[in-house]
Amino acid sequence: MSEAKGPVLQVDAVTAGFGATTVLHGVDLTVQPGDVAGVFGLNGAGKSVTMKVLAGLVPVRTGRVSFLGEDVTKRSPEDRVAMGMAHVPQGRQVFAGLSVEQNLRLGAYTLRRRDKGRYAGVLSGVFDRFPMLAERRTQIAGTMSGGQQASLAVARSLMSEPKLVLVDEPSAGLSPMAVQVLFGTLREVAATGVTMVLVEQNVAFGLQLVDNVNVLQVGRVVYRGPVAGLDQEALAGYLGIGRLLGTGVSASLAGRAPASVESNPVAPTPRRRTRRVVDVTASPKKMASAPVRKAASAKKKAAAPVRKAASPKKMASAPAKIAVPAKAGATTRKATKKRSS
Amino acid sequence: MSRLPRQARLPLVIAAAIILPPLLGRVLPDRFGGVESRILGVGVCYAVAALALNLVMGYAGQISLGHFALVGVGAFTTGVLTAADRFALPYFFAIPAAALLGAAVALVVGFPSLRLRGLYLAIVTIGFSYAMERSIFRIRSLTGGSSGIEVPRPIAGTFTFLLSADYLSILLLLLILVWLVDVNVTRTRIGRAFRAVKASEPVASSFGIDVGRHKLLAFVLSGAFAGIAGAMYAPLVGTVNAGGFAYQLSLLLVVIVVLGGLGSRTGVVVAAIAYAEFPRIFIPIFGEGFRGWDLVLGAAGLMLAVRNHPGGVPEILEHRRERKLIAAKAAAATAAGGSVETEEATPTPALPQMPRPAERAGAKPVTPGSVLLDVQNISVNFGGLKAVDDASFSVKAGEIAGLIGPNGAGKTTLFNAITGLVTPDVGRVFLLGSEITQLAPHQRAGAGIGRTFQGIGLAKDLSVIENLLLAQHTLAGYSVVEALTNLGRSRAVEKDLRNRAREALVALGFEGRADVPVRVLSHGQQRIVELGCVLLTAPDLVLLDEPSAGMSPGAAENLAERLRDIRDQLGRTVLLIEHNLPLVLDVCDSLTVLSSGTVIASGSIDEVANQPEVITAYLGETVPLDALPVMA
Amino acid sequence: MGFLSLQNVVLGLIEGGIYGLLAVGIVLVYRGSRVLNFAQGEIGTIGLFVAWFLVTDRGYPWIVGAIGAVLVATAIGLGFERLVVRKMADGTRISVAVATVGLLLFLLSLGFVLFGESPRSVRGPIAGQGVSLAGVNVSPTQILSLVITLAIGFGLAALLQRTDFGLAVLAAADDPSAVRLVGASLAKVSAFTWGAGAAISALAVLLIEPSIGVFGPGFASELFVYAMTAALVGGLASLPGAFVGGLAVGLLKVFVTSATITSSLPGIPILSVFALILVVLLARPGGLFGAKPPAIA
Repeated sequence: MSEAKGPVLQVDAVTAGFGATTVLHGVDLTVQPGDVAGVFGLNGAGKSVTMKVLAGLVPVRTGRVSFLGEDVTKRSPEDRVAMGMAHVPQGRQVFAGLSVEQNLRLGAYTLRRRDKGRYAGVLSGVFDRFPMLAERRTQIAGTMSGGQQASLAVARSLMSEPKLVLVDEPSAGLSPMAVQVLFGTLREVAATGVTMVLVEQNVAFGLQLVDNVNVLQVGRVVYRGPVAGLDQEALAGYLGIGRLLGTGVSASLAGRAPASVESNPVAPTPRRRTRRVVDVTASPKKMASAPVRKAASAKKKAAAPVRKAASPKKMASAPAKIAVPAKAGATTRKATKKRSS
Repeated sequence: MSRLPRQARLPLVIAAAIILPPLLGRVLPDRFGGVESRILGVGVCYAVAALALNLVMGYAGQISLGHFALVGVGAFTTGVLTAADRFALPYFFAIPAAALLGAAVALVVGFPSLRLRGLYLAIVTIGFSYAMERSIFRIRSLTGGSSGIEVPRPIAGTFTFLLSADYLSILLLLLILVWLVDVNVTRTRIGRAFRAVKASEPVASSFGIDVGRHKLLAFVLSGAFAGIAGAMYAPLVGTVNAGGFAYQLSLLLVVIVVLGGLGSRTGVVVAAIAYAEFPRIFIPIFGEGFRGWDLVLGAAGLMLAVRNHPGGVPEILEHRRERKLIAAKAAAATAAGGSVETEEATPTPALPQMPRPAERAGAKPVTPGSVLLDVQNISVNFGGLKAVDDASFSVKAGEIAGLIGPNGAGKTTLFNAITGLVTPDVGRVFLLGSEITQLAPHQRAGAGIGRTFQGIGLAKDLSVIENLLLAQHTLAGYSVVEALTNLGRSRAVEKDLRNRAREALVALGFEGRADVPVRVLSHGQQRIVELGCVLLTAPDLVLLDEPSAGMSPGAAENLAERLRDIRDQLGRTVLLIEHNLPLVLDVCDSLTVLSSGTVIASGSIDEVANQPEVITAYLGETVPLDALPVMA
Repeated sequence: MGFLSLQNVVLGLIEGGIYGLLAVGIVLVYRGSRVLNFAQGEIGTIGLFVAWFLVTDRGYPWIVGAIGAVLVATAIGLGFERLVVRKMADGTRISVAVATVGLLLFLLSLGFVLFGESPRSVRGPIAGQGVSLAGVNVSPTQILSLVITLAIGFGLAALLQRTDFGLAVLAAADDPSAVRLVGASLAKVSAFTWGAGAAISALAVLLIEPSIGVFGPGFASELFVYAMTAALVGGLASLPGAFVGGLAVGLLKVFVTSATITSSLPGIPILSVFALILVVLLARPGGLFGAKPPAIA
């Protein structure tokens, strides 16, 4: 836990971009100690640029970034890491030519400069938490699977005993099994009280981990709020997915918040013109990578406590046609020859 | 003051080249006498050598550190052919011979290295430079050993070009010749292809350009130019020996070309002549001790110039122009109020105005509803990681097909396997029934596949109109020779391509911005140009990689309309990678769902939407719910 | 086959060791900045001129000359990295390579202007007859160069594998931005590789000069061709590969020189090395130690 009383991270009206293009048009963000802050948005909304700005890799044009109460807007990435920031970069970015242990040792770069004595203890702690990595300590990182590299990347970030961990789209490119493992890992890490900022395009995955939600659209934060009492309609609108209701995401939310969260499919609002029968499946804008459901786990789900939303098995057999909301200002639909309505 | 018509300019310049130097040499012998003409002559030789290197470095973007050795090849060829104690042929024969030999040597040297990316050519040319200077150029029987060969001045009938001022005419004529051929390079598909290769090799491939072949072509042409430079140089200096073609001189050429401006004909010629004249100007001022410092200064200048402006002086000018453009854009945007939104919401214009494309050679007729693209059992391994695992699906002609899945599911890799940028370990791809699995990317582009890229598949350094011309590369049906000599079909075809490009320009709403470099445009505008380029070549199959990324919902809707236009009005088949689910469900006729590299569902929209696996994939439940810690 | 004698093998290995050392410097810079430093050899020549000035001209002991050479060379390497390479962090690698060509010409022409073409020499560090190794007369300088080569080789390996900073240097080749994200200074890594590369270059050139006899401007640039070939043979990204490549090039050069001693064709050694470059690129561009050729652009 951080000692500072104020927010761990404070971002005020930041604009940033590349060359002639501006990508962020005034982003605000506050992250309190112990929080897991989620940043969501479509591809191209500015999520990765935001992460790069927080890391210090992309300069800020106007605005301010404060970390642990200090203004770090002009500070280099290395300085920020020395101050207690750690990263799980997009695509993992492990050092492919080096071994697991060498990767972890590099993760402890700032720790070892601060206090070399602690290294052995921190390393063994990390190996305790990641037994898979302990088994493979001499294996070359580039030969590991995507999921294993993801664990390595998370473990590496923890080696510096950070005050804040920035996690950038961790589930991208991972097989469903690996995403499951990763989820558990991040869950445990969050439970120890580490403050995190999580950028994810897999909304359902992310919603299960974060305490509050920030939605980016075309470089601005258009929705902000705690996960409890999340305005699902609004979120759905910003992510352009029409419907977020239904088992999948509701289940995610139900797992985190009291059962007051609505989890029944809701009839479509009249102003949305749809071409097909509307039923709702959780249609996160970005799909979660999910395994084809195995019988065993499906049964397990069926036995889940009632508090959780309708079981997926039930969901799976429901006639599911996918909602097709028209956007505001919908164009008239021409009757296309090939389509059967 | 009337501007001279184009046709009159060339003959005038030629006449001046023939008449002026000999005249000035006789009328003003102290200002234009032997030494002065000779120095200028050296400058002209260097200018041709610089044009040669500019072709390779400025147009095609490859570094050569052995170009003066190629000049040496031409020089020695001339010596061997024209020397009194050798073949004693007239000078006239030496020129083409030198060009040919320069090209041949370049072919041998370039071949192993240009198939590979990056700096390999530089490595080879250093070795080449030393190998020539220390070994080949010292073979006694060939080159007279270290003493070299005496090369006579050219003789025409009974007149010998002994006076340097007279010989200067010949040099200037040859410079004009090389200049004209260079113009023909840049104004035809060859030059465009070079510059596309320099900008981005995958993008060039997607336009149907054989990257390796073009890099080699650039180097070979460059070798021919360098050979001519050697043929010019040899009689001027009188004696050619190995020492005259040392490594330093090749490096000097690099300085000249970079400082003069990579890609700028005028720039490098001026820089070359300036270099030759440099000592004449500065020695009187700084004294004899200054000799040799010119190279030191030039090298220091090179380091500074490259650091700040890799493109040399013309790039500085270009940047100024760009900055003005950007400022004007910003001013206009703020004047319109609500800058960025208007930019991002730039709607894709209706496309029926796009010109009907020319028929592609060998284009097969397409029956709507038949299978256009057939992907069978594609697997792609990246060092242990299976990016795509036994993926099979097909796309029918005349439909809009969607390929969806989470980030990292392997969609772009699958696209790359279809277009040929990635070779699958297993599997086959068929287009209109013919197997294309073994074809290179540019060949598949020629067979009728067009694609866009996530990072925008345009040659960003080229202008809008140049990209539109580039896109028609596979339709430019004239040969290299025709291009270089500006004869045959090249003129007519170029005119046709240009007309079509102009029509497309208007259709896309870019009139008045034809010459704007693409990188200055906003992301949305670049997307539009990219789409226009893809459509110009009449591909049967259009692959679009996340076309709606970065678009506001309104712009995405507009995009949906345009996609339908492409299918209905232009009669093309579309395969989309998309994350925007509503767009996909709105617009696609069929859907293939990829998850972790495997196809988990494929078929018509209605079929796929009902499959349980797809629903599960969309549910996003990745953890058994009872494994979640209980929240207090 | 007379040229395959043990004598030639020993000679080839000793000479090859130097090429390997130079190649290690090239690959070090390449791994640290993903750039080929074309001036690497000529930096060594400048070091040699400094040594000449101190030892031959002013009469100081060899060690003073060596220190002077290494210091000046390191200063050039660090200076270039600071003033040029670091400012081009966002530029293409090809532009940086062109900048190193500028450095090369700068040093080459500076050498001509300050020292002229007349050949000079720097006597070896230890006078004396040397020893007889397998029937070969090995001079004290050659022994010293062997010792130093091994010392640098093992020292560098220890530094890179054992220390945190060294690990960061190795990691920089894999992923420069991730190096920053663990808090290591990429700038320091870059400076180290350029400085160390230059220092290695100066030492290697200084040690090989007595065997060759005289030198002038451009001396080390020719050596650089051999070293570059060695790095290519090793695969450009592999440090041990570069060293082994050096040995291979050294052996090739000695064998070829010996086998063609009666030939009237001049410059055969360099010609054969050039042929080796072409062969490697045609047959196995990734070198002996690599699978795919690294895309160095």
